[in-house]
Amino acid sequence: MSETPLLDQIPDGPWPSFVKEIRKTAELQEKAIKEGKEIKMPGCAKALLKQLERSYEDKKTHWKHGGIVSVVGYGGGVIGRYSDLGDELPEVHHFHTIRVNMPAGWFYSTKALRQLMDVWEKWGSGLLNMHGSTGDIILLGTRSEYLQPCFEDMMKMDPPFDIGGSGSDLRTPSACMGPALCEFACFDTLDLCYDLTMEYQNELHRPMWPYKFKFKISGCPNDCVAAKARSDFAIIGTWKGDIQIDQEAVKEYAEWMDIEEEVVKLCPTGAISYDAEKKEIKIDNSNCVRCMHCINKMPKALKPGKERGATICIGAKAPCVEGAIIGWVAVPFIPADELKDRVKEIVEPLWDWWDDEGKFRERIGEFIWRKGMGMFLRVIGQEPDVRMIKHPRTNPFMYFEENELRPSKVVEELKKRGVKFKSLEREEEE
Amino acid sequence: MAEITYTEEDKQKVLEKLDQKTWKIKDLAKVLRMNKKVVQKIVMDLIEEGKATYWSSGSTTYYATPRYVEEYERKRAEG
Repeated sequence: MSETPLLDQIPDGPWPSFVKEIRKTAELQEKAIKEGKEIKMPGCAKALLKQLERSYEDKKTHWKHGGIVSVVGYGGGVIGRYSDLGDELPEVHHFHTIRVNMPAGWFYSTKALRQLMDVWEKWGSGLLNMHGSTGDIILLGTRSEYLQPCFEDMMKMDPPFDIGGSGSDLRTPSACMGPALCEFACFDTLDLCYDLTMEYQNELHRPMWPYKFKFKISGCPNDCVAAKARSDFAIIGTWKGDIQIDQEAVKEYAEWMDIEEEVVKLCPTGAISYDAEKKEIKIDNSNCVRCMHCINKMPKALKPGKERGATICIGAKAPCVEGAIIGWVAVPFIPADELKDRVKEIVEPLWDWWDDEGKFRERIGEFIWRKGMGMFLRVIGQEPDVRMIKHPRTNPFMYFEENELRPSKVVEELKKRGVKFKSLEREEEE
Repeated sequence: MAEITYTEEDKQKVLEKLDQKTWKIKDLAKVLRMNKKVVQKIVMDLIEEGKATYWSSGSTTYYATPRYVEEYERKRAEG
């Protein structure tokens, strides 16, 4: 009889299965041992399956986390995992995770990947996850005593790989592939991601804030890294001015595409019109909300406007229990060539403020809600702007202090004529 | 950005505190009534000189002297 009858059912489905992959690793480990190769975590893949089976039987996890696990000079990047079945399954008693800082845009050479895999087969379980929700390469399972030599071997690679963020620090910044692969990119996402990663090495490796902080960078409003939903500080490409139209290419699309049905009617603000006779489209750019649908459908004919840059959205997070919180617009537009400097000018005072006054495990968005949008704008040195909105086209953050209000000539005239306003009556009563 | 400067006396004060327990920069600055950025700079310089070191709880990084960390770890190992 199988040792793992419950797990055996998982690979039966049509989808790729982690059980199948762990079993493959177990077979490879056994083969390597027979060949006399040195394996640092012998039998760990098999033991991992046994522990998982026990968790299904007992309906509870057998992982414990925490403890001091790190490499010299770093406070984050290694997540301690211990099995509470250490006596029964000593092969997985220590099973720490290492987060490895991925290259911006997740571009690798096969040489780099091979080197990394060699290091991990030498010092760890050989199991990994490409990529975790933070974007890092997640190396799953090693012992405390192998962390430092594993890290040192990663640093000797060509190119070297560094450890990513974890805990209450700056998490590994991530970016979409940007101009390397995408014609919609409104700025160089890879360059900005690299720049922020290098600039904030201390913040990345030494957790010291109230809680985690994530930068995610998308080159256009398609937001392929889900920055607006998953990062405290989302930098999302956008443009000013008109969408560029190539009417000759529109005519080519008209040969095989129903532009009226597939593009015009699906514009959320009805900003597009199509002249079926001339086979030309017109866009009312003042009503465009950058949904990207028309550009995605007709990439040869439509391109983002020429004046490009990014919008900064603040405060998103993606908790499992309460549901996702979407970031809100903090800075409507920063020109592409000013992004590196402006992002730093905004984020550094924000970190100082949050670090001084934030509560333990309070994300920066929650902190701003608690302290107020007015204070937030003062800290980042921005003037209020009608485009700083929480929900598009519903509730602007615009607010006024009483002394900033000017008497309305219309209201004064109506009052003279005897019109009574309930809101004014209430104010007078107060 | 203006260069952060400090006196030898400030540095000595920080070093003394680091030899007493593990600290977060924020708390150390509060206790010493010094600017957080100055304390950060002093601690980083002390790390460069090998007179201070990092100590991680797994989720948070603290700072102390190597002597304190060594002793603390020894006590932890003894239970």
